[in-house]
Amino acid sequence: MESNPATSRLTAIALSFMAVIWVSPFSWLILNAFNPLSTGQLEIPRSIGLDNFALAVSGNAGRQFLNSMLIAAGTATLSVVVGISAAYPLSRLRIPGRNAFLWTLVLLRMLPSAGVLVPLYFAAQRGGLLNQFGVIIALTILNLPFTLLLLKNFFDTVPIELEEAAYVEGASLFQIVTRIVLPMSRAGIAVVWFFSFTGAWNEFLLPLIFARVQDAFPMSVGLYAAFGQQGAINYGFLTAFSIIYAAPAIGVYFLLRRNMNTGFAGVGVKG
Amino acid sequence: MADVSLRGVRKSYGSVEVVHGVDLEIKSGEFVVFVGPSGCGKSTLLRMIAGLEPISGGDISIGGKVVNDIPSPQRGIAMVFQSYALYPHMSVYDNMAFGLKLAKTPKDEIDQRVREAARILQIEGYLDRMPKALSGGQRQRVAIGRAIVRDPRVFLFDEPLSNLDASLRAQTRIEIAKLHDTLTATMIYVTHDQVEAMTLADRIVVLNAGRIEQVGTPLELYRNPVNTFVAGFIASQRMNFTPVTIEAGKLVLPGNKSLTLTHPRLANVRTIGIRPEHLVLADAANADLTGTLSVIEQFGEYALAYVELPSGDLVTVKLDGAPDLQLHQTVHIGVPPDAVHLFDEAGRALR
Repeated sequence: MESNPATSRLTAIALSFMAVIWVSPFSWLILNAFNPLSTGQLEIPRSIGLDNFALAVSGNAGRQFLNSMLIAAGTATLSVVVGISAAYPLSRLRIPGRNAFLWTLVLLRMLPSAGVLVPLYFAAQRGGLLNQFGVIIALTILNLPFTLLLLKNFFDTVPIELEEAAYVEGASLFQIVTRIVLPMSRAGIAVVWFFSFTGAWNEFLLPLIFARVQDAFPMSVGLYAAFGQQGAINYGFLTAFSIIYAAPAIGVYFLLRRNMNTGFAGVGVKG
Repeated sequence: MADVSLRGVRKSYGSVEVVHGVDLEIKSGEFVVFVGPSGCGKSTLLRMIAGLEPISGGDISIGGKVVNDIPSPQRGIAMVFQSYALYPHMSVYDNMAFGLKLAKTPKDEIDQRVREAARILQIEGYLDRMPKALSGGQRQRVAIGRAIVRDPRVFLFDEPLSNLDASLRAQTRIEIAKLHDTLTATMIYVTHDQVEAMTLADRIVVLNAGRIEQVGTPLELYRNPVNTFVAGFIASQRMNFTPVTIEAGKLVLPGNKSLTLTHPRLANVRTIGIRPEHLVLADAANADLTGTLSVIEQFGEYALAYVELPSGDLVTVKLDGAPDLQLHQTVHIGVPPDAVHLFDEAGRALR
């Protein structure tokens, strides 16, 4: 195809226009968050300050940040602990139908979680778990199928001979798992932890249903509730709050990238 | 040091029995090699001695004590795996110290023992490296070092050299022989490589299909194999087997030449075996076998000539030096009667 300066200039203008449209929500978010006198318009702020952020980490909003952290870290840690305890035997013991079992779990997980919300709610109500702990347990249960599948596959890559060598040297099963299998599956455990963390951090529906008082809201629900509070929308607060809400996802992304590079199962064997 | 004895040891997986009642006495300080083709049960036998595989019948005792129900760590054994099984997330030092740390050995004793083993194996320079930074041969030494630091009564080696290349294998073989000399420990070594078996063993145990075929020193097996299996398995060039018929008290070879041999049970002979290195070239007048040269492999110091007999059988002849033979030429072979092994219908040796 022939390219003449006129058409390429037109293409450039068209693409820039698309780019502006594409980034405008982000620009709006950032410009408003750093503008203490934000009005909700896409404009260059007349003054720049962190007042909105101060507002977004104090009082109710700060509590919601902690709630989110608690739910996300709690879910991630519980998923990893339960996942390891279940995936290791699934990887090592010849349980008949273990693969069918795993894939059935995954199939069940494919159902939208809203579909199981009602039974989940009543189970939590009966168990007295309509609180953050209940959210953590419910999210862990929903996470488990994929957690199990992922961890089992990671454990499968740890050569059985390493465990036999450790056993001959006098290691107990607990020592074999904690000193050989887990360190070698570090990358897999990190992936599971971070994914569970982001999943739980982003979760909206379950905390909304389970935690029915403002004090127990995580940020996802808090953001929703912040609309129209005190009669008007405080765009500065809302945008700063959104940025803080999105930050962990970015942090997790970088942590994940670093940890994904440390998979080294299989190095100790063969030459 | 401890002796190891197996009495009627069996192993079955479900209804399939893979080791059929093995009896064996291994003396303290002896170097015994289990050799056999894949699937003969040699590794299973070793893993049963190690305690990694439960036994289905019989008794295994180490140092005079039955260890059937004693877990592996308390058997006083150390094992070197075919894949080395080094812990990839630990340094060489930590790999070697792992077992001692588990046993809560005092720190300075661990240090002293690890450094002593590293000195013996000449790996002192790599103690801080990770396994992935080592070559195959170095990893092999670390794996052996990990066994040495535990000062076991019995060393178990499961095909330790099969992942090394040929030259490194020969070198490590010599080192293992030296090691046995220095450590004076009982060693049980599994391999499918009969060269390793011949060169390392005080005694070789030849296994086939879950049974012991023969136990003896390397030279005993070489000189007096009890059957065609052992005869064919031991030595680097496989023994030639030729069917024979008996006529008027003489062995008749293919091609109708006869061998003068006396044996009380000559009438039972169905096959003779003769090693390639014992066959000689002859001239047409006194040849025992005649055929055409189909392949010749020149090694410089010796050559292997593959001679096709009119019957279609291939006979291997090992010749010293670099013989001047042309492909497809007629080759006359002489069979020295005193080097012939006689086998009956079932493949058992007649002595």
